[in-house]
Amino acid sequence: MKRYALLQTLVPVIRDSLVVCNIGIPSQELFAIEDRDNHFYMLGSMGLCTSIALGLSLNTTKNVVALEGDGSMLMNLGTLATIGNRGPNNLFPVIIDNGSYGSTGDQVSYTSAATSLAGIARAAGCERVIECHGEAAAGHLEGALNEDQSTLIIAKVESGNEPVPVVPLHPIVLRERFRACVSY
Amino acid sequence: MNAPFSRQIIGTLKEKQVTFFTSVPCKLLANMIALLEQDTEVTYHPATREDEGLGMCAGASLAGKTTCILMQDSGLGTIINALAALVQFYQLPIVMLMSYRGSPGEPVPAQAPMGMLTPELLKLMQIPMLHCHEAKDLDEIASYVDFARVKQGPVVILLDFHLMSGDQ
Repeated sequence: MKRYALLQTLVPVIRDSLVVCNIGIPSQELFAIEDRDNHFYMLGSMGLCTSIALGLSLNTTKNVVALEGDGSMLMNLGTLATIGNRGPNNLFPVIIDNGSYGSTGDQVSYTSAATSLAGIARAAGCERVIECHGEAAAGHLEGALNEDQSTLIIAKVESGNEPVPVVPLHPIVLRERFRACVSY
Repeated sequence: MNAPFSRQIIGTLKEKQVTFFTSVPCKLLANMIALLEQDTEVTYHPATREDEGLGMCAGASLAGKTTCILMQDSGLGTIINALAALVQFYQLPIVMLMSYRGSPGEPVPAQAPMGMLTPELLKLMQIPMLHCHEAKDLDEIASYVDFARVKQGPVVILLDFHLMSGDQ
């Protein structure tokens, strides 16, 4: 299973959540599968997906799902410590771990070798951490959302991207339609 | 802790409905951080790095909050991309309360280089800056919070070393 197939399984599970989606091909693939107002596509600032979701989750009662990547998570490991200490129960980071930098040419990332994001997250203080094959991720996420228990899911998938176009929406359009979902 | 300037700054931000705060620490901001840690009327969570803090502020802004990050001017070097490609790109109002470590009074040599660059970097990025040299300058903070909302973008409140080091 690659990222695109994983996103296809996640889409039915995240329709009632606020979704912050990682920059680049992850956002493009999600947009191609299903575009919804509750999707905030990051068009820039690699590394900040989970931090944006954290700030959002601290200021809403709705469930917030971060669709994070392994390479972008490695850029900002400190935010796992903030989540481990201050993360609220409505925050659900899903790290799509394909062991590579998919948007930049599939260069391998360290999670394909010696580095365990699950181990880092647990050591950072995150209480509920699930590492699973991509096929099982949607079930784990649905269960966690139903239980209202913040859970960090690391979904292991193969490297590879679908040939999809860039997200054609203006950032202010994305901001406004997403804000409307937050306040709805 | 008396810290009248720190109390005035936090009080002004709260009066202007800034409700989400994060910080990366600085000795000159310590009194404000101590006030925020005890304040039950606002949400305050420390960040591990300035760009993480900006991400958190952006998320809070998507929830409709006006936010503030407390940081040193040296941290500006860490967040150029986050400012340009996130905060400015999505036009999010964020108040950046910045201790001006690289200004006269600073004892640490390594703070000087970013101090020299900070005003020019902010100008280059077209980020409005209120440079507070003395107590009366703090009275302008409220209008800069308003301006962040009007302009829909970041504003910087730059606090001189001498001003804040005397605020005990």
